[in-house]
Amino acid sequence: MFNALEVLQPNFIQRPLNELWQRISPLYTVNEDQWLSQLLPLAQPTDTQLKTCTEAATHLIENVRKDDESTSMIDALLLEYSLDTKEGILLMCLAEALMRVPDKETADAFIKDRLSVADWASHAKNSDSFFVNASTWGLMLTGKVVTMNEKEDGRPANLVNRMVNRVSEPVIRKAMNQAMKIMGHQFVLGRSIHEALTRGQSYRDKGYTYSFDMLGEAALTSDDARKYLKSYEDAVESVGKDTDNKGHRPTISIKLSALHPRYEAGNEARVMTELFESVKGLIKKARALNVGITIDAEEADRLELSLRLFEKLYRDDAAKGWGLFGLVIQAYSKRALPVLTWLAALSKEQGDRIPVRLVKGAYWDSEIKLCQQKGLSGYPVYTRKESTDVSYLACAHFLLSEHTRQHIFPQFASHNAHTIATIYCLAEQLGAYNDEFEFQRLHGMGDALYNSLMKEHDVCVRIYAPVGSHKDLLPYLVRRLLENGANSSFVHRLVDATYPVADLVDHPVTTLKGRKTLHNPHIKLPIDLFENRKNSCGPNIEIESEWIPFKAKIDAFMGQRTQWRAFPIVGGLNSETSDTHIINSPYDHSQNTGRIDWANKNVVTCAIDKAEAAFPEWNTKPASERAMCLDKMADLMEENYPELMALCHREAGKTIQDSIDEVREAVDFCRYYAQEARNQFEHPTTFKNYQGESKTIRLKGRGIFACISPWNFPLAIFTGQVVAALVSGNTVICKPAEQTSLIAYRAVQMLHEAGIPSDVLHFLPGDGATVGAPLTQDKRIAGVAFTGSTGTAQLINRTLAARGVAPVPVIAETGGQNAMIIDSTSLPEQVVRDAVRSAFASSGQRCSALRVMFVQADIADRVIPMIKGAMKEQSVGLPYLHSTDVGPVIDKKAQDMLLEHIEHMRSVGKLIAQSDLPDVANNGTFVAPTAFEIESIDQLTDEKFGPILHVVRYQAHDLDNIIDTINRSGFGLTMGVHSRNETTCARIAQRARVGNLYINRDQVGAVVGVQPFGGQGLSGTGPKAGGPHYLQRFAIEQYI
Amino acid sequence: MSIVQPIQINVALEVFEHWDSLGVEARANLLTRSARLLSENQASMATWQIDNAMRQISEPHTMPGPTGESNELSTRGRGVFLCTATDTTSEQVKVGLVGQVYAALIAGNTVITVGVEGQKLMDSLASVLPEHIVQNVADSAQDSIIAADHLAGVAAICDQNTAQDLNQKLSMKSGLISQLCEETDWQNLSTIAAPHYVLRFVTEQTVSTNTTAIGGNASLLALGSHEDQ
Repeated sequence: MFNALEVLQPNFIQRPLNELWQRISPLYTVNEDQWLSQLLPLAQPTDTQLKTCTEAATHLIENVRKDDESTSMIDALLLEYSLDTKEGILLMCLAEALMRVPDKETADAFIKDRLSVADWASHAKNSDSFFVNASTWGLMLTGKVVTMNEKEDGRPANLVNRMVNRVSEPVIRKAMNQAMKIMGHQFVLGRSIHEALTRGQSYRDKGYTYSFDMLGEAALTSDDARKYLKSYEDAVESVGKDTDNKGHRPTISIKLSALHPRYEAGNEARVMTELFESVKGLIKKARALNVGITIDAEEADRLELSLRLFEKLYRDDAAKGWGLFGLVIQAYSKRALPVLTWLAALSKEQGDRIPVRLVKGAYWDSEIKLCQQKGLSGYPVYTRKESTDVSYLACAHFLLSEHTRQHIFPQFASHNAHTIATIYCLAEQLGAYNDEFEFQRLHGMGDALYNSLMKEHDVCVRIYAPVGSHKDLLPYLVRRLLENGANSSFVHRLVDATYPVADLVDHPVTTLKGRKTLHNPHIKLPIDLFENRKNSCGPNIEIESEWIPFKAKIDAFMGQRTQWRAFPIVGGLNSETSDTHIINSPYDHSQNTGRIDWANKNVVTCAIDKAEAAFPEWNTKPASERAMCLDKMADLMEENYPELMALCHREAGKTIQDSIDEVREAVDFCRYYAQEARNQFEHPTTFKNYQGESKTIRLKGRGIFACISPWNFPLAIFTGQVVAALVSGNTVICKPAEQTSLIAYRAVQMLHEAGIPSDVLHFLPGDGATVGAPLTQDKRIAGVAFTGSTGTAQLINRTLAARGVAPVPVIAETGGQNAMIIDSTSLPEQVVRDAVRSAFASSGQRCSALRVMFVQADIADRVIPMIKGAMKEQSVGLPYLHSTDVGPVIDKKAQDMLLEHIEHMRSVGKLIAQSDLPDVANNGTFVAPTAFEIESIDQLTDEKFGPILHVVRYQAHDLDNIIDTINRSGFGLTMGVHSRNETTCARIAQRARVGNLYINRDQVGAVVGVQPFGGQGLSGTGPKAGGPHYLQRFAIEQYI
Repeated sequence: MSIVQPIQINVALEVFEHWDSLGVEARANLLTRSARLLSENQASMATWQIDNAMRQISEPHTMPGPTGESNELSTRGRGVFLCTATDTTSEQVKVGLVGQVYAALIAGNTVITVGVEGQKLMDSLASVLPEHIVQNVADSAQDSIIAADHLAGVAAICDQNTAQDLNQKLSMKSGLISQLCEETDWQNLSTIAAPHYVLRFVTEQTVSTNTTAIGGNASLLALGSHEDQ
């Protein structure tokens, strides 16, 4: 591991740039305890230093608290708003959505929803925090902080009742908008740079300077990116015209995600050309006008890409020799220190000092969540606040060192008095002059703190000030409040006079060392997300150190030299037949993946004979023994990850992330069902029957299960069905889809290797006629698990029923006509991102994929063009490329059907957009993502299993009719809802006859054991796969 | 030949949504009241089905998962169930019939019963339940119900042959796959009186909510600021 103390040696940054670069990525999810042990000595003060900085911090805080005006309205708001309580979030949610709801009807319904007594009454027991928020309500409604008195106002619920009764929704709507304007005024320096410069003058007179940030979220379309670029250009021009020559010149901060719709590692080529050109243009303009530019830091996945882009820009003539092109580094990132060493070396090499703003980091919650979802090996950020503070000081130590500060101009952004005091002491101790670094703070925060500092020290303080409309304020504000608004945050405590000063000046090194563990034990690693089973893992393909070695392993299976050869497996042996089929890659039909022999009727009979004979013994094994095979299977699949990935690409045409998700789902099925079997099957259960008698039952297998699976999840669904049947005590005969039998063959080999006896599981590739029919006609089949079309499910059911034996379970998962309902309280950016993913990811070849999107008419004209723009940014192509969003469809038959539907829709609907197809598309079976606007879901007869989205406008008052029409389709698989109105969400959840409902997110990618999956009506029989009731259907309840 | 959709199915579908939306507990309260009107054995069976459902399906199941989202699994009724028995002379079959009807009802379905015994059962329920939640048809109309579109399933107490026959009839229909919940052990009611029986009458719904929709995540903040160790 990186020896952190070494960075203090002046020769450290003399190492080759590439060598320093190589040290960055491996620290992405480095073991937190080990890495912090390295960092702690860098941040560790001597006793004298500790004493000095504690005194300085104490002095600073006392000064701040002495200042009567220290509690600005913003600080007060932070104090009042307990943003780590639900009601604080609810209020923010209300304010945020209200500002952009265009129609009064929805706005008023939304207010009613938020104010509904049921909502608030649930918080009544926590009256302290409730009153805090009630005060905030006062603030919202009257524009000033008012104190609510419990005696006067009675119980909180009563208070709310009175408030609601007194003022009607339209009044509140107006008041809320007014309140948001007030908040906007406090948090946003101006709606334009001009206004900001004017309003900022008084601070500049005091000696402050500014860095302006243009408010706005990430661009999803090229149009948005152009719009943001224009606003940055305007900002640069306005600042350039600034004639105030006192003090330091203001700078501009830019967010790269606003300047390119695909600022992602997978689109590096576009980022390094298109985005490069945009930023280069800005740099040229800014340089000509002497306006410094700082690139803001964003998500951890983008760090490496941002550095590569930064290097290219920095080395370009546009920036060479300038010295005002800088960037932001987040101290909560485990990679912060090596990034700084690399930057110092880069600067040393070129000779232009790089301004670096050191922040703590604002995306902490989403970073944690993302890692848990992706099953990553750890977190890219520290899990304790004090660890981030330690990292901050360690980085500061490096930045302020003599050999670094000639190359990097450090800008310390913090509102923590202790951090500020410590940095100042550190600078003095390391001999840094006051003009060799600066401090930064946010507009509207930390006024008193920095006023106090500036009174005593001649130091530059820059205010980071957002500029833009109130409408764009909230996402920014929420991030700031999340950073600083929690009760535990320094800002919160600083203004809380009851909080002892001594507790505010603890050195983070002391605090951290006082913990039992350096990492936070309350935040489990992604792999430990579930209590009783291991989470499946996956690499992060956005991160060099994770993706490059992993890709190399996959590549070993990607060449034409690698060909798979598969056969029916009966009794553990390959059963050669003369019926050999070649499997091609869907993205290039000239590329072979392998060959497979199909089974015939004799092979089917032979397999059933063996499975029948093997059943009694297998069924009497303890469930835990069977479960162990599943656990082993999960491990084997993870060991064979690269080969399985290659098969997903080459046989099924799956993209990289889809292939990872495929393997992960298969692994999760194994571990989840293993655990469910241990819980439900291992021991008998005793209950009192209706006559009060004690009865004992045990779950046992039914006999031979036939598992018939589809091509769209060739490993996950295949494995899921098979292992569920096996672990329940059944013997299994599995028939994979003809298109994707090779990966299934490998899965069966692994299952045998994992300990499933050879006579217990048999593999019969073939089509419906050669294998499906003889299999389901056999009287010995005791149950069928099937995933595929509704028509085939009915056929199987009929065949089974016609056998003249007792009825057996048919567990069928079939198609859907999945809808998404979007009302005007939803956030369009989020809607578009989720809709595009739901409709087009995996080329729309998911049972759960979005087919019909219902958009409230009031926002349709905003949402539909955004969808169009986002579709233009979708990259259709070879699935094994990182840049590809949408791969091929499975085969010619599917392609023909989809193209035919597109042609039909051209005549009955209105084309919204169609993504471009690359030249290589002609080698395989591709269908371009296409969207149509139609009048009604009734214009669609059946499911079209591909990347085709239909959009219907609806009026807010028609919501119930819309739900009725969706229900009338008879399908009931997934539905998405985008609304901030919980009453609306609950109503839709109540009325929609669907199996899986997703609120304010995409509607694909159900996770085993988290979102049990399956539909109703024409969409399937249940029980849900990956849910607690699934295994029971594979079993009988045997009385003992 | 097109079959005319029996009126009972449409009526049952109309009242289904409301009945299903009441939730297990509210239905349990109503059904418990109605069970008092039954004979002792039948009442025991009815009560047992209600209690069993209360244990298994009354509360949504909170699934574990990443921070920042909530995932809940709950059950709903499947739709309209036909509850029938081939021979209702035995007292035990009558108890079984009660088991079927109460399991179907408590799970959220509306029910169509058949013949004289069905009528008696319907009468006892009708005094407590909302209108049309249970309807009864004559024996002669049973086949038209079985053949009707949108029938979620049939619960039958019968012999093996009848079960096969029923199963085949249901399988021949187009549309959704109608469930057959057969009980062929009428003496012991080993299927009807088992804990998982009620699950045959439900469909499951997973609701997954992104709770970080505006970028805030209170639960994570709480985790991150734990300072007890």
